[in-house]
Amino acid sequence: MNAILDADTLLAVDVGSVNTRANLFDVVDGRYRLIATGRSPSTVGTPVYDISEGVRMALDKVQTITGRRLVDEAEELIMPVTNEGTGVDVLVATATAGSKVRTILVGLMPGVSLQSIRRLAASSYLEIVGEIGLMDRRREEERIDLIVAARPDLILMAGGTDGGASDSVLQLVETVGVAANLLPGGKPVRIVFAGNRHLGASVMECFGERLSVTLTPNVRPSLELEDLAPARIRLAEVMADIRTARVSGFSELEQWSRGNFMSTADAFGRIIRYLSGIYGPDKGVLGIDLGASQATIAAAFDGMLRIAVSSDLGLGTSLPGLLKHSTLADVMRWMPVEIPEYRLRDYIGNKALHPGTVPVEMDELHIEYALAREVIRSALSLAKREWPMNKAMRSSWLLPPFEPIIASGGALARAPHPGYAALMLLDAVQPTGISTLVLDPYNLTPALGVAAGPMPVIPVQVLESGSYVSLGTVVAPVGQARHGRRILRLNLEREGNGQDMSGEIRMGQLVVLPLAQGEKTRLTLRPERGIDIGFGGPGRAGALRVAGGAVGLIIDARGRPISLPKDAGQRRELNQKWLWDIGAIE
Amino acid sequence: MSNYPLPSVTHVTPLTTIRRERVLPIPGVVTVRVNEKVQASHIVAEAEPAPRHLFLDIVRGLGVSERQVSQYLVRHEGDRADAGEVIAGPVGLARRTVRAPADGRIVSISRGRVLFEVRGELFRMRAGFPGVVIATDGTHSVTIQTTGALIQGVWGNGHMDYGVMRMVGAGPADRLKTDQLDVNLRGAVLVAGICDHPAPLHQATELSVRGVILGGLASDLIPVVQRLPYSVVVIEGFGELPINPPAFNLLSTNVGREVALYAHAANPYQSQRPEVIIPLPTSRDVGFPDEVVPLRSGVRVRVIRAPYHGEVGIIQKVLARAAQYPSGIRAMSAKVELEGGNVATVPIANLEVLQ
Repeated sequence: MNAILDADTLLAVDVGSVNTRANLFDVVDGRYRLIATGRSPSTVGTPVYDISEGVRMALDKVQTITGRRLVDEAEELIMPVTNEGTGVDVLVATATAGSKVRTILVGLMPGVSLQSIRRLAASSYLEIVGEIGLMDRRREEERIDLIVAARPDLILMAGGTDGGASDSVLQLVETVGVAANLLPGGKPVRIVFAGNRHLGASVMECFGERLSVTLTPNVRPSLELEDLAPARIRLAEVMADIRTARVSGFSELEQWSRGNFMSTADAFGRIIRYLSGIYGPDKGVLGIDLGASQATIAAAFDGMLRIAVSSDLGLGTSLPGLLKHSTLADVMRWMPVEIPEYRLRDYIGNKALHPGTVPVEMDELHIEYALAREVIRSALSLAKREWPMNKAMRSSWLLPPFEPIIASGGALARAPHPGYAALMLLDAVQPTGISTLVLDPYNLTPALGVAAGPMPVIPVQVLESGSYVSLGTVVAPVGQARHGRRILRLNLEREGNGQDMSGEIRMGQLVVLPLAQGEKTRLTLRPERGIDIGFGGPGRAGALRVAGGAVGLIIDARGRPISLPKDAGQRRELNQKWLWDIGAIE
Repeated sequence: MSNYPLPSVTHVTPLTTIRRERVLPIPGVVTVRVNEKVQASHIVAEAEPAPRHLFLDIVRGLGVSERQVSQYLVRHEGDRADAGEVIAGPVGLARRTVRAPADGRIVSISRGRVLFEVRGELFRMRAGFPGVVIATDGTHSVTIQTTGALIQGVWGNGHMDYGVMRMVGAGPADRLKTDQLDVNLRGAVLVAGICDHPAPLHQATELSVRGVILGGLASDLIPVVQRLPYSVVVIEGFGELPINPPAFNLLSTNVGREVALYAHAANPYQSQRPEVIIPLPTSRDVGFPDEVVPLRSGVRVRVIRAPYHGEVGIIQKVLARAAQYPSGIRAMSAKVELEGGNVATVPIANLEVLQ
């Protein structure tokens, strides 16, 4: 039996590029609960260059809060729990920290193996520095030069269905092998081959003993089938090796975790897929993790997971990358106050220099949240390309319906009012139909993702425990209507002693109805003709039971996509009004 | 376990021992020995960073079978060949040969083809500042040590240079202007306050300056500065940020001395920062600057975000509880006595130690 099955006390450590968090879970009244959380700045970089110090400081905070000793005099984790009640039974760990892994992708056909290998790469913390395919026009020596000049840490290869193409795959393998052997010494490259499984022996022979090669199950076993999950596990192992070799302290954390160590994105995605199984096939589940160095979008549709890690999008060191996907004007449109464009540009540069800093002044908070909106929007737009199209996606800009939408990240977690986080998500995601916005303020999702494999009960119990903050249910009608025209009538029948309520919603409105966290209500919605709220088509009415949240019941009738006035002054006023409407400012 | 926060440390110190490892991008040849004295412009190591490769088809070139190739090869794996030198052949009456297309080396021979590496332009790594070589691994890195003043910055344009330092403008907040630049500054390293226009930067190129030290740089000039042929080190950040007083005092008292600029971008995962080194010989032993300084009362800090961005002060007290700010955000904080006497509460996340 796995140790985690017998465990009562679980410590989850997440090492990010800016923050290191330690979360302690224990059984209270027969169910797992978050007991304490400790956060400290990550020490992966200057001045310490060893993640252990950040981990110890986070553990120290948990010790201070709980009074429970977690480490002994020798600064070793006490494991398992002693008779005196010190220590923990199991430690699980996740990490995003560390410099990115320079990677070259190699595949055969652009729409087949190359596409699959791109998707595999997009789910991890890789920096793609080159791509080679059978159909590109480079000569063989140019391909070799590309690899040698790029000096990759990792070469990720795919090609051929199982039992399919072999000669062309082996030809590419030979080219990669020649180039890998030409890479200057002192920087060993790792090669992951996720192609035709029948070629395993030939591939190993071709690469020879000098190179470090990992074979994984084929990402494209047949033309119709793509299976990334097994390759993703092996890739994560290779990434862990690379990370351990280059960042001090990871080996110690790996030792403590006894194999329960995953990349934050993989662990995050695991929970999103798990929730998709619980919520059923009608809607997808969306997860957004907005980090300093990357933005991760995990979307699961009927158990099928799509993860996209955008390593050039984040609210810290990666922030300048936003301007490759978006413009300053795109960011400025979300500002409720006037600031000159040069100040926004300087802000981006300074935030990249000092990613751990926090906004003190109101203007800076608005800048940070305007940037966060565009980072999420850009990451979503990249991630969406890989989502399965269905009937609900009526056009390219419209999101499919999601239930719930879970968001985490420092900027969201430290929002001074839940309304800021809710409005940021509404503006950035622009959900359609009926969804619930859920905030993960303690960044628990990756921790639960690692623990979920061996012990599925932990995510179930912690997700229900109140450690996540429901911001509220959102109703977002979709359809064309003149601004100010009535588009929806609604009726609220509260459970318990609350007062019932009815009313109508007009196009362009953002309305919050008071419905506290834990409060339940029966909500009847009657859209006007041509307006769709997800009850099976435009104009169709329906009723459902909805729960309240930190913000309340949100009716977002601003249209999809949200259209903002061209006049800068009017636009700022409107942004200010929305902050007021959602209760973020009084 | 430290009970105090460990912010990043920036060194602004008048006299210290400075030890820097210079690393080639790829292994090559180290050209200096341990204990050897070097000057800033001294080449300490060299390598060929990105060679070009060519396949030479011997089968087609000579018109022989793959099996026969080995008997006609006159150069073998690992051999160097200059442009035009015969690699394989001659064969037959026509005396067909395959010759080296350029100066280079034979990397491998397989299936009747020679993989030929064309020698690239040599990358020469300079010492960057005068000092003594104290360690080398012979192929990759050289560690050089000196004593002097050290001023670290936050951003650089990737160059490295050395020259006599001159002050332009009236103070740390003064804007760099074209009318401040004349022929007397040719070949100098300039200290200026703020730069928000490309014209003076281009004029400095005309004057062949060796470098510019700035407090703040307008971020829209980043692409311009990245193309400049000389070093630019930014001490504070992007925007209207004057050089902090301790750094400015240190720079202004050393005007006329030779300074080394290392304008490489900061790498958060390596101990690499853009910096200004002013070599100062000393007869006494001076220690190394502390790289890890816990944040506690009495420690000198610099604020790295608005408000007070760039201001320097002394920690009065690290607060036990999080403080709330006008933005509504709550953060662990410290009371800082800023230069000028004001006491401000600042999030610890917005401070760095100035040592």
